[in-house]
Amino acid sequence: MKNLGVLCLDFISYFTCCSECFAGDKNESEASPWHAVASWTWDAKDETCGICRMAFDGCCPDCKLPGDDCPLIWGQCNHAFHLHCILKWVNSQTSQAHCPMCRGEWHFKD
Amino acid sequence: MIRLFKVKEQQREQAENANGGIPVKKQSAGELRLHKDISELNLPKSCAITFPNGKDDLMSFEVTIKPDEGYYAGGTFLFSFQVSPIYPHEAPKVKCKTKVYHPNIDLEGNVCLNILREDWKPVLNINTIIYGLYHLFTEPNYEDPLNHEAAAVLRDNPKMFETNVRRAMTGGYVGQTYFTRCM
Repeated sequence: MKNLGVLCLDFISYFTCCSECFAGDKNESEASPWHAVASWTWDAKDETCGICRMAFDGCCPDCKLPGDDCPLIWGQCNHAFHLHCILKWVNSQTSQAHCPMCRGEWHFKD
Repeated sequence: MIRLFKVKEQQREQAENANGGIPVKKQSAGELRLHKDISELNLPKSCAITFPNGKDDLMSFEVTIKPDEGYYAGGTFLFSFQVSPIYPHEAPKVKCKTKVYHPNIDLEGNVCLNILREDWKPVLNINTIIYGLYHLFTEPNYEDPLNHEAAAVLRDNPKMFETNVRRAMTGGYVGQTYFTRCM
C-alpha cells in the first residue's frame, strides 16, 4: 500500500456502534454487532481535474469506479490530474510534454 | 457492488426497450467535457453562441462576435466551431465565416490564434477561445500575420489600416478584394 501513502490518499474512518453495545453488561463475552463506515478523499488542492473537469473524487470520463482504479497523479510542478487524463495528453505530444496548467515541462513526481 | 451494476445494466436495457429498441446514445468523453464548458460559459454581451443543428449536436456550433471597441467596433463576425471527439486533447477547429480584412485572419477564414494551435492545452475551454477571438479584434497583431498585406498596412500606416477596415466592413473593395458589408 506504499502507493497510497505517496498519493496522499487520506483515509478517515468512523466506527459507529449500535444500541446493543450500550445495552448494559449482560454478557460481556458476547460479541456485539457493529458497523464500520469509512470515507476517503484525494488530498489535492483543486476539486476537479483541469483536463476532463470531472471531480477528483469521481473518476475520469473513461472509467466507472473512482479511487484506485482511476488514481490521481502529481507532476513535479505539483499540479494534479487523473492519471488517465494526463497520460492521454502526454502521449499525444510529439516532443517534451508540458503541464496543461503551468506550461512547465511535465515530469511525474516520484 | 457487482450485483448493483448488474441491476443497473438490466434497468438500462429495460429503458432502451421502452424506447422502442433505440439504444440511448452514450455521450463520448469529449461531449461530456464540452457540455460542461458550454454550461459554464460566461460571455461578454458582445459575444453569442448558437447551435444551428440543434442542441443534439453540441459538437458543432457558431459564435457571433460584435466588437464594441477598436478598429472593428460595430462589425458582426461569425465563427464556426468544430469540436473533435477527443476534445479537450485537441483544440476545436475554428473558422471565420465572415470575410474580414484582418492581419490574423486570411480571406478563406483561417484564424491565427496561438491557443488554437501550438499553445493549446486541455485546461483551456470554449470560453477562453471566444475571449481569444474577441481579443483579435481589439488588438490585431501584425507580427504573426495570415493576411500579410493587411499586416504590413497596420504596421506602417495605422490610419490607412483603419480606413481599410471601415471600407471592408461597410462593403467595398480594399485593393483587389471585395468585402461584403458586415455591420
